[in-house]
Amino acid sequence: MRRVWAVVRREFVERVRKKSFWVMALLGPLFFAAVFLMPLLMSRGGGVKRLALVDRTTTTLGAVVAARLDSTQRFFVVRRLSGGASVEDSLAREVGLKSIDGFLVLSDSLTQTGVAQYRASNVSSLDDIGLLRETLGRLAERARLERAGVDPTMVARAQIRVSLDTKKITGGRTTEESAGQSFSLAYFMMLILYISLLLYGVQVMGSVIEEKTSRVIEVLVSSLKPFQLLLGKLLGVGAVSLVQFAIWGVSGRLLLGQRAALVSRMGGVDPEVGQVFQVPHVSGATALVFIAFFLGGFFLYSAMFAAVAATCSTEQEARQSQVPVTVLIMIAFFGSFATLANPESRLAVTLSLVPFTSPIATPARWAAGNLSALDVIASLALLLAGTLVVTWIAARIYRVGILMTGKRPNARELLRWIRTA
Amino acid sequence: MTAPILVLDRVTKRFAGHTAVDGLSLSVRAGVIFGLLGPNGAGKTTSIRVIMDIFQPDEGSVQLFGERAGRDHSARIGYLPEERGLYPRMRVLDVLVFLAEVKGVPRRAARLRALEWLDRLGLGDWRLRRVNELSKGMQQKVQFISTMLHDPDLVILDEPFSGLDPVNAQVMKDTVLELRRRGKTILFSTHIMEQAEKLCDELCIIARGKKLVDGALSDIKRTHGGHHLVIGFDGSAGGAQQVFADKGLVKRVDDYGQYAELELAAGADAQQILQRLVASGARLSRFELMEPSLNKIFIDLVGPEAARAEARPEGQAVHA
Repeated sequence: MRRVWAVVRREFVERVRKKSFWVMALLGPLFFAAVFLMPLLMSRGGGVKRLALVDRTTTTLGAVVAARLDSTQRFFVVRRLSGGASVEDSLAREVGLKSIDGFLVLSDSLTQTGVAQYRASNVSSLDDIGLLRETLGRLAERARLERAGVDPTMVARAQIRVSLDTKKITGGRTTEESAGQSFSLAYFMMLILYISLLLYGVQVMGSVIEEKTSRVIEVLVSSLKPFQLLLGKLLGVGAVSLVQFAIWGVSGRLLLGQRAALVSRMGGVDPEVGQVFQVPHVSGATALVFIAFFLGGFFLYSAMFAAVAATCSTEQEARQSQVPVTVLIMIAFFGSFATLANPESRLAVTLSLVPFTSPIATPARWAAGNLSALDVIASLALLLAGTLVVTWIAARIYRVGILMTGKRPNARELLRWIRTA
Repeated sequence: MTAPILVLDRVTKRFAGHTAVDGLSLSVRAGVIFGLLGPNGAGKTTSIRVIMDIFQPDEGSVQLFGERAGRDHSARIGYLPEERGLYPRMRVLDVLVFLAEVKGVPRRAARLRALEWLDRLGLGDWRLRRVNELSKGMQQKVQFISTMLHDPDLVILDEPFSGLDPVNAQVMKDTVLELRRRGKTILFSTHIMEQAEKLCDELCIIARGKKLVDGALSDIKRTHGGHHLVIGFDGSAGGAQQVFADKGLVKRVDDYGQYAELELAAGADAQQILQRLVASGARLSRFELMEPSLNKIFIDLVGPEAARAEARPEGQAVHA
């Protein structure tokens, strides 16, 4: 066991010493930060839009619109003016000089046919355009109703907005998770699982190939059983991945804790503005499911990557031969992604039972839907069984393959490798 | 006579298409330097891999230290493979400690011994450098150190001298002799007969997977020697050609012009050759009755075999 431990330690220490490990460790928190600061940064980039209002209405509608826009705190009406087409040209020049961000042209046609013009340097911000359209629409509606003699208080009551409060039900209890949160959690977990399975699987493959091409393998197999070597390798790389997750988890938590402070430092805007992306709550059970299925998938796929590497003599060869394994991971990812909207469908259930797809599908369904503990255990048991079978086969291929050089084996030879005692 | 530390009993190893080792039996006593000699592709490396339990023999068995061989014995064996290999991106000291650890040496002891050996072979200043920053010769030394760190009783060196410059070959030779002085057993393979002749107590010559001869070096020389004569000419060889052509006197000749090695015909008298040569007008600088070199025995034994081996049509899918 001490010998296996030596292999584990070597794989772990050599990997953690590499720059690429720390690059990944830093990229994680940067990615989290980007995810929840991005909406804020984008809105700050727009900031409060300074508008000129060309008012050609014959009513007080122009003044009402200006007041209402100011109250949104997203727009600020710099000035209100009237005038003909030439005004628009001069305002366009001002936009060019960036003394204003845009201008809005209102006429009586707003109430009659519902038409207004908005000209600005940036018309791609859907939030801004939406807010503008909604504000104008409501005001036009109110103007029409009032002109038709409806009581203004009646109008105000008719216009009360619907606010839909969505909460997820898990295990018969309402949680604090919204629909957006469970979707983003599922998506997040799928993405991390997909990337990690590929990343660490390829690392195992690289490690096997390195030992083959550098010929260290011969000394190693004279000291250790090939299975001990394979086991040490998987445990070592697996430990690296767990440390990586721990770094991401802790830094993610810290960043979230500091979010309000960070947001206010980055521009002093109300923190609520930054909450376009809803940060999901990761419970202990979810973390456990994630880790369990990651480890299962990691051993399953890494054993396959190791077997592939053992049949190859060079890194280029290995890169070509890994395609079937990579495709399996991709099927798992895209299959789970496709069934995310409908986690109870037959396809989704199948995906979370097949060992090759369940490492991604089951955590995703767990996060998006409401799998029972029994579902998860069934899926995990199948994954474990699949992993044992695949590892057994992979270890046999590995044992013969690591000492072979030259031509890659065909399917018949591979079968013979697996059969030889 | 001490008990054999390693016994191969009719070991056969086949690969798709050919037999690499064919019914090889040999026995190595503790405390000797044993040479496994043979031309390229003779099955030396395959035999060693069978001993190391890297390959399972198809037939026959291997005994190590009086027991059936297995991976468990690897802690008592130091193995330098023919194809050297170290992790190129690891630090020298780390590689050594790791390779000792997989042999079961505790980490701390491995570290101390590695430092000691590095100093001894003049690599002390390189211990924190990466392996791929070292020259080929230095890497060889590091690899050699790695075979010694667990203080093995049996050291198996596959072509230990290949790729070494004369200075380092000398260091290697001294180390091997030093190991024997400390009571270790050394088995090494080579196709360089000069090295084997200087080092081996006992040897085994194989070709095409089969044993041709084995035993103590002195015995082999006696039985396979015949009578050999070395003649050096001082300018003029006179009528030496005619003398050499006399089948009654000379069985075989290696004539280099100014130098010749003769094998005497059965019952021939060397003095008669001397008289005939002087009479033919040859001027001699050297006339010496001697044992044949191992090289000569090797070529006599293996020559025809090796030529046939080369004619074998198919290549070797797996390393021989």
